[in-house]
Amino acid sequence: MANHTTTEASFENQPTWAGGRSPFNVSYGKLMMWIFLLSDAFTFSSLLVQYGTQRFSNVVTPITTKWPDPASIFNHFPGMHGFHLPLLFVSVMTFILILSSVTMVLAVEAGHRNSKKEVEKFMIYTILGGLAFLSCQAWEWYTFIHEGARLDGNTFGITKQGYDHLHKVSFGSHFEWEVGDRTFGPVPFAALFFIVTGFHGFHVFSGVVINVVVYIMTVRGVFERRGHYEMIEKAGLYWHFVDLVWVFVFTFFYLI
Amino acid sequence: MEFYNKPGEYDAINYIPHTESHGTKELWKTFWLLLGITLFDFMIYFVMPASGFRNFIFIFFGLVKAYFIVGAFMHLKHEKMTLALIILVPTIFICGLIIGLLYEGSALEVMKSM
Repeated sequence: MANHTTTEASFENQPTWAGGRSPFNVSYGKLMMWIFLLSDAFTFSSLLVQYGTQRFSNVVTPITTKWPDPASIFNHFPGMHGFHLPLLFVSVMTFILILSSVTMVLAVEAGHRNSKKEVEKFMIYTILGGLAFLSCQAWEWYTFIHEGARLDGNTFGITKQGYDHLHKVSFGSHFEWEVGDRTFGPVPFAALFFIVTGFHGFHVFSGVVINVVVYIMTVRGVFERRGHYEMIEKAGLYWHFVDLVWVFVFTFFYLI
Repeated sequence: MEFYNKPGEYDAINYIPHTESHGTKELWKTFWLLLGITLFDFMIYFVMPASGFRNFIFIFFGLVKAYFIVGAFMHLKHEKMTLALIILVPTIFICGLIIGLLYEGSALEVMKSM
């Protein structure tokens, strides 16, 4: 027993970088999750770098090679066919993801208080939020593919006629593309959309899987026996990172 | 300093520091902020005509949202400064790469039209 106290005391009195303990005052698993997220941030930024470069090399003239205006393409909402509603659906998706982020962080907070019941409740909400987001994305992809988007082509270039046509309609008014409004645009447009949102969607999917695994572990009392709910924090870090990436996808693919 | 592990169990791998609950007040505040900024973006999108300044507003508020997600939700505000730095400093270089390659993209367009 005396031996234990001396070990503890020597631990606390060690200088930060003397070894034997984490100089960052986090556990090994959490530190590694942070490092993984940093490397994942590099992955996403390489995709965003490519997107930015392609977009900036297709800006001005002639109008057929112009990068398509997101408002002219992502203007659908489920159950409201034929109306010009840009940004509305994707804002709902953003809201769902922010909400599931909050329930995740509430699960982490409940974990700090060792409240198993609350952790279970908030993990369920988070999983449902993730599934709702994935369903929305599936609908978005379905609509986009249905309109002719492919990995190897882009029929979303706007002609002069289409540009004028689009700018005459306002939010919520009836809108159908006319023949001759569209032409071939820069090829990487749809491909980059599929790759970047697909990569993000894959992260959401794996986040949901991780959350389900952590939820099952919580229900079976693994963390209760372990005495701490640190695993919820690690899953939470990953889940918030997915939300963080969506902030930038939302900004660069829909807003700008 | 408190640990979840029992005394004498410490080693570099199984070291789990005790984490405190900071309450849910800050979290809900962050949620309303994020929601407010998203709604503000939504409003700006329809009120302002497309311009470089509007894009600047969107990117600025995107970074503000990122600050709140990383700071409050991912708890980085309450972590040690050294950990925050090893996470945040490399991302500055990413921003540099993005800005540099946007210029390259513009140059590519000039070359294509020649």
